[in-house]
Amino acid sequence: MLSVRGLGKDYGARTAVKALDLEVARGECVGLLGPNGAGKTTAISMICGVVTRTRGSVAIAGHDLATAPFAAKARLGLVPQDLAIYEELTPVENLEFFGALYGLDRARLQARIAAVLDVVGLSDRAGEPARRFSGGMKRRLNLAAGLLHEPELLILDEPTVGVDPQSRNRIFETVKRLHGSGTTIIYTSHYMEEVEELCDRVAIIDGGAIIADGAIADLVAKHTGRGVELELAGDVEAAVARVTPLGEVTRTGSAIRVVPHGALAPVIAAIEEGGASITRIESHEANLEAVFLALTGHELRDER
Amino acid sequence: MIGAAIKKDVRLLLRDRGALISLFALPIIFMIVFGSIFKVGGGGSGRDIDVPIQFADGDRRGEQIVRTLDEAPGFTPVRVSAADEVRARVASEGARAGLVVPPAGPIELVIDLSAPLQVRAPVEQSLTAHVIRALFPLAAEMTSVVQSKSPPGLAAPVETPSSFQLTVPGNAVLFGFFIALTTAMAFLGERKTGTWRRLLAAPVRRSTALLATLVPYFLVGCCQLAFLFGVGVLAFGMKVAGSVVALIVLSLAVVWCAVALGLLFASVASTEKQLGGIGSVVLLVMGMLGGAMIPRIAMPPFMKSLGLGIPHSWALDGYYAVLVREGTGLADVAPSVFALFAFGVGFAALGLALFKFE
Repeated sequence: MLSVRGLGKDYGARTAVKALDLEVARGECVGLLGPNGAGKTTAISMICGVVTRTRGSVAIAGHDLATAPFAAKARLGLVPQDLAIYEELTPVENLEFFGALYGLDRARLQARIAAVLDVVGLSDRAGEPARRFSGGMKRRLNLAAGLLHEPELLILDEPTVGVDPQSRNRIFETVKRLHGSGTTIIYTSHYMEEVEELCDRVAIIDGGAIIADGAIADLVAKHTGRGVELELAGDVEAAVARVTPLGEVTRTGSAIRVVPHGALAPVIAAIEEGGASITRIESHEANLEAVFLALTGHELRDER
Repeated sequence: MIGAAIKKDVRLLLRDRGALISLFALPIIFMIVFGSIFKVGGGGSGRDIDVPIQFADGDRRGEQIVRTLDEAPGFTPVRVSAADEVRARVASEGARAGLVVPPAGPIELVIDLSAPLQVRAPVEQSLTAHVIRALFPLAAEMTSVVQSKSPPGLAAPVETPSSFQLTVPGNAVLFGFFIALTTAMAFLGERKTGTWRRLLAAPVRRSTALLATLVPYFLVGCCQLAFLFGVGVLAFGMKVAGSVVALIVLSLAVVWCAVALGLLFASVASTEKQLGGIGSVVLLVMGMLGGAMIPRIAMPPFMKSLGLGIPHSWALDGYYAVLVREGTGLADVAPSVFALFAFGVGFAALGLALFKFE
């Protein structure tokens, strides 16, 4: 459905995206994750044709964005992170304009407006100016505008950021339903649980390139293991020196995180032999957050 | 798609009270204010100036002056009983000038000599001329020695032009060019809200996306000028001495030039604050130099030639011709139309070269 090859963007001497390769199959939902400044937004903008690429190619449903831009863009729906709506207009008026951009005829446009407003739960507020809406309702209208022309590929850039739990849930459930009905989705979010629940696959972008791409379970297995976090008192330096041969160790002040090569008992023994005592011990599930941390050195949520 | 954009932008404009006031209401207020300020010596729809006059009963000179002023356009003599009353009225600005006619000797023309010459001279000279004509019947014949005539090539002016013949086009041009600011604000607004990204992500050409923002404001600009000239004719008695077709073509050229300037503004300004501040000042200075506030004919030669580099001057030259000179046709305003079109092409070319789509 989406084929991105060697996609790159330079702004003068600065390279925002090096050379991005991404293949997304029809009906697949791919999470695109990356710290701020990693090149995620630029990559999405290039895929949508909003930003002109410096190199590489993008094809949507077999239509090359360079040679058949209209055919490619007609199959794409964008839900940008910014609230790309006219707040002085009502949802119906907003959608009438956005629908016209995709050449929907009057009858189909009216039917689609009614359908998407129902999907996002704004049918009862259809005639009210959007400026009177809560942040969550505006985000739902933002989503509706992206769905209006029934795109085959939907790109959602942080669709649930900064909204109330009710709207967030509504948006998330809508996206889940769309995925269930076969829409291909690229989803970016700082909410790891959303990505884990929704996406079949995750691509992690950092430094302008994709540094990991695969099914969540595979990435977790490859880049992290079960681990423990230990709060130490006493000679932490000596303890770390003794534990290092027994597993992967990351130290943050008096706390260490250990992913043992084998059993946990020799690690605990090594700490005590090193002259430190354990004041707290916490077991860690291996998850996408840990993968992101291991690969980028950042916590995903901290990037907000 | 352009049709949908027009519908959308008209809806947005109708809900933007500030923009409506600055585009439609403010120019009318300025027309009224300036029209009243520049009203000198009557004529057209202007009200006559009351001239308090004092003379003794049976004084032949006084009676003759009153008869002459009664017949003259622009002045209404108001007889008062005491000379000091005439002086008091002028001193308290109850009257712009007055006359005290003694039984013998020179007649006193009471007027504030410290008033600016531009304000004082027309009234002073006009009243003096009427008094001379009243007292020396031969002077009426003497006026035939000097006869005012327009040079060849200039058509005769409309009869009794009112001050609104100047203030309506002046303010229409001044505020008509403010559509540049509205257009540029629309571009910045689209960028700020992210709707511009949505537009670029849609299957439309970039040139269409650009036109989708420019065309609605071109139409709004046309409606604005139609409204202002319409009010000028219907409410202020402004006359169109020349061809209405010439007036329409000239107005289209003005709006084209203003919208192209808006594109240039949108290309160089990065924030709405910047645009609101710098853009307004630029437009006001252009309006001032272009003669929208003070007619260029009253400016020193250097300022007059400076005005030729500003589209407002060309617009006003064209409007004055079509509104004031009888029989002015399309060919007569062609230089103005061409200059405005060329200015527009220049602004648009520069705007396009600097415009950042992304």
